[in-house]
Amino acid sequence: MTEDHAIDRAGKSRGARTAVTVFLVLTAGGLAAFIAGVLGPHPERAWQAYLINFLLWTGLASGGVLFSAIMQATGARWSGRMAGIAEAFSAFFPVSFILFLILFLGQSYLFPWLHEDLHGKEAWLNVPFLFTRDAAALLVLYGVGFRYLYNSLQLRFGGASAGGRRFREGLQRRWAGRRIDEAAVRRRATFWGLLYCFCFVLVMSLIGYDLVMAADPHWISTLFGAYSFVKAIYLGLGGLIITASVLYLKNGPDSGLTKDHFHDVGKLFFAFCLVWGDFFYAQLVVIWYGNISEETAYVIERTMLAPWNRAAWAVLLICFVAPFLILINKKIKTVPPAMIVLCAVVVLGMYLEHMLLLAPAISRSPANIPIGILDLFVFLGFFGLMAASLMTFMTQFPEVARLRKREAN
Amino acid sequence: MALTFAKIDQTVLDTLRPAPKSYWLMVLLVFAGLLAGAACWAYQILTGLGVAGMNNPVHWGTYLINFVFWVGIAHSGTLISAILHLFRAGWRNPIARAAETMTVFAVCTAGLFPFIHLGRVWMVYYMLPFPNQRTLWPNFQSPLMFDVVAISTYLTVSSLFWYTGMLPDLAIIRDRAEGVRKKIFTVLSLGWTGEHEQWRHYVRIYLFFAALATPLVISVHSVVSWDFALGVVPGWHTTIFAPYFVAGAIHSGLAMVLTLMIPLRKIFHYEEIITIRVLEQVAKTIIFTGLIVAYAYGTEFFIAWYSHNDVEIEVFLWRAYGHYAVGFWIMVGCNTVAPLLFFFKKIRTSIKWLFVISIVVNIGMWFERFVIIITSVGRDFLPHAWGVYAPTLVEFGIMIGSFCLFFFLYLLFVKHLPSVSMTEMKETLEKGGSHGG
Amino acid sequence: MADDRYLMGLFIEENGAVDAVGALGESSFRIEKVFSPVPSHRLADALKVKKSWVGLFTLFGGVFGFFAGFLLAIFTASRWDLIVSGKPVISLIPFLIVGFEFTILFAVFGNIIGFLFLTDLPRSDWRRHYDERLSGRYYGVLAACPAGREQELEALLERQGADVRRMDRDDPPERAAARPEQAHP
Repeated sequence: MTEDHAIDRAGKSRGARTAVTVFLVLTAGGLAAFIAGVLGPHPERAWQAYLINFLLWTGLASGGVLFSAIMQATGARWSGRMAGIAEAFSAFFPVSFILFLILFLGQSYLFPWLHEDLHGKEAWLNVPFLFTRDAAALLVLYGVGFRYLYNSLQLRFGGASAGGRRFREGLQRRWAGRRIDEAAVRRRATFWGLLYCFCFVLVMSLIGYDLVMAADPHWISTLFGAYSFVKAIYLGLGGLIITASVLYLKNGPDSGLTKDHFHDVGKLFFAFCLVWGDFFYAQLVVIWYGNISEETAYVIERTMLAPWNRAAWAVLLICFVAPFLILINKKIKTVPPAMIVLCAVVVLGMYLEHMLLLAPAISRSPANIPIGILDLFVFLGFFGLMAASLMTFMTQFPEVARLRKREAN
Repeated sequence: MALTFAKIDQTVLDTLRPAPKSYWLMVLLVFAGLLAGAACWAYQILTGLGVAGMNNPVHWGTYLINFVFWVGIAHSGTLISAILHLFRAGWRNPIARAAETMTVFAVCTAGLFPFIHLGRVWMVYYMLPFPNQRTLWPNFQSPLMFDVVAISTYLTVSSLFWYTGMLPDLAIIRDRAEGVRKKIFTVLSLGWTGEHEQWRHYVRIYLFFAALATPLVISVHSVVSWDFALGVVPGWHTTIFAPYFVAGAIHSGLAMVLTLMIPLRKIFHYEEIITIRVLEQVAKTIIFTGLIVAYAYGTEFFIAWYSHNDVEIEVFLWRAYGHYAVGFWIMVGCNTVAPLLFFFKKIRTSIKWLFVISIVVNIGMWFERFVIIITSVGRDFLPHAWGVYAPTLVEFGIMIGSFCLFFFLYLLFVKHLPSVSMTEMKETLEKGGSHGG
Repeated sequence: MADDRYLMGLFIEENGAVDAVGALGESSFRIEKVFSPVPSHRLADALKVKKSWVGLFTLFGGVFGFFAGFLLAIFTASRWDLIVSGKPVISLIPFLIVGFEFTILFAVFGNIIGFLFLTDLPRSDWRRHYDERLSGRYYGVLAACPAGREQELEALLERQGADVRRMDRDDPPERAAARPEQAHP
């Protein structure tokens, strides 16, 4: 393991460089598949895959950073190492923003309402306004997130040496130039962390309404915004557990992670499994019971008619029943390989869930569930981007992955 | 002066000394109010439900408002004792007992209102599933039946949780009491001796209680919200109701916790146990729940516009500008704006402000239920069927009676049972280090 | 065994009780019971007891409640099978709520039953080998020894810092006088 410590001037170890290469290859593959799909006979399938992945990975990244923000805002002390890992997801923010802008190119496929009579909703659902407000919202969210991180990272790494990493050196020079004491930095981190939580709720809700609910512009669900950000938190926790488990498997106790960390984050993941299930059911029972056709058409198509009903049951089983029954057991939360598998399966289930919400509107009554090789490649492409982002962060801040000699929680 | 095991015991046991005359005067006063409410109810049973203000179109009035209000208040008691136990938040320990008690008595009070609203109270047997010669069974598809199941479960579970939590404390009192009191507490404490074997199981079941009570809290107020949301009435039929009601419930309950704790800590000299810091944490949580409620208000208005549904838009505009606009703006101001004052440290550490804002929030939350229930039903689909509602004196009497019932039970509790959990306070000390002599 | 004498060592500090448990473990005396005013992890570790399996009662209660809730709702619906509001007579979506509430209710019943069963409460013989100071701030270790070795045991306990009390069948009158702080009647 010590050979991995051979850090080159760019700050990466040999193993890390291999990993980044793999991730970039995956990204290239995803991009190629996507372009092939767009140029092929069913461009809407490619754009659908793109949008689903955008929502999935953006939610995961924002939700991951939220964990750190919440821990800071509530003054929790058990989670230090975990929160450090959670902050790594912020590296995906700029990527996510660019990916969002690209959505503009697919507007004729991604926005079914462009081709419909909106009876007055055009004031809200029109391309310029939608893109402006969503881009602004993401900028605000990510801006606040970075401002939060500026303070939180200073708390975490303020005094340590940058070890030749250029970006970090720049940061540390600025921190040194600030000349404010730790208590003040902590206060600012708490403030910006709280603001991030606030923005997260509003921005994720907005994205949910604009990009997912609006795909069927005649359907409404007031809980949909909250449902969207709950999904993001659930995904974020899943991503955090996977990342933390991988780091633990790679670095062992040097990662600074203990059984208790995994136990507590596992419990949070279990809790959000329940919250997600609850928010799903809250919408389902109200719409089912009221039986108003304006609302039920959406739900009936997705949960009771072929081919989507199979996907709906799969989502319920993968994202709720399985994690619920498995995570009731205390011990399994502290078995990192098992948690990697479970959380990865849940992320895939959430992919299916996003598809279930969007595909009936975008792909329009296919014979089978429109999922295939294209989706796999695009998914892996996005995964590559996320993993590369995480690696970039950990290259600049390697203490997140591995303790320095004299550090503790 | 630092807290020790002995000081905790002494402070709490002192509250159980014979009460001064002023206490019994208050109990009498509150009991008089309770009797007045009971008299109003008796009058209603004898005369008929028409003495209340419900009519076409507003057929649900203060009885439902108060029902939801009291169930809501119950919820934050369970939040504090159960959910915060799961989060290992130490600041819950000083107030957990009083909050759980608030839960039990609030659910009792709330549970009366479905009976009151029935008019012919004896007809409640229709709702119980037992074999009868008319081969009638209740329809469990009805949200009102969900209520029966949920509220009775909540009452049972809360009472058992409350009692189990008190067991070690009841033993403490038993060991220091004499005469009749000793006999009573001997029975109540079930022979608890604090043996390791007992603690071993006790700690486990307490954790399970907390883990079970948490989803219960969320489900009960979701079920109550579905009394409204499962219908098709505009302003009611909306998917956000379940989490919105749960957040609102915790909001009002936390405010009631402050309203109860602040006089309690002054009168019983609990200042070192229920410190300002604990109250400050409650205040911070109120900011959080207030923001959730604000989010819900905003979302409802946005989606009402987005839906371009004329009926939906009409209800929401009428809420803000119609006959009940005053109630609406009281609701918005008291629930979402007032708690923002707690962002200022000076205000959230001032006893006076904490008390005032807690009352303001409770008033606001009562009006929230008023606005939701009355305005939606009063202004639904057909304009010729629109109407207004005003509560009658009988309803006010019953409402005052319900408040008096709650405070009556609470007053009796604080003087006869330990209002702070001595055992949990000692555990807090133990975690922090030695406990002195 | 019937001839055994019981001595209770009362400790103000948890450490003393933990050390006494250790010392008794190494001696030939038997630890009968250990008392504490609050649950103590360190005593649990020292006594090396297994985890409580009261959770099984809770689990069985919960599973029973889950099916009972659904069955009750399904049964009542099928007895009175009029179609109401266009909904199927037996529909799982609303019945899930009944099932859920019953799950919690019966899980709690299981919890309580398991607790009472495993701790053998309520008890009428709680006064036996009990000291009222234990509910306040004292930790207690009740040890047994054969008749004649009381002095040895008492010395062992006192070495750990205990205030030792002999729990003989007849409680000496002078002990009855030394009562802790009273709660007023």
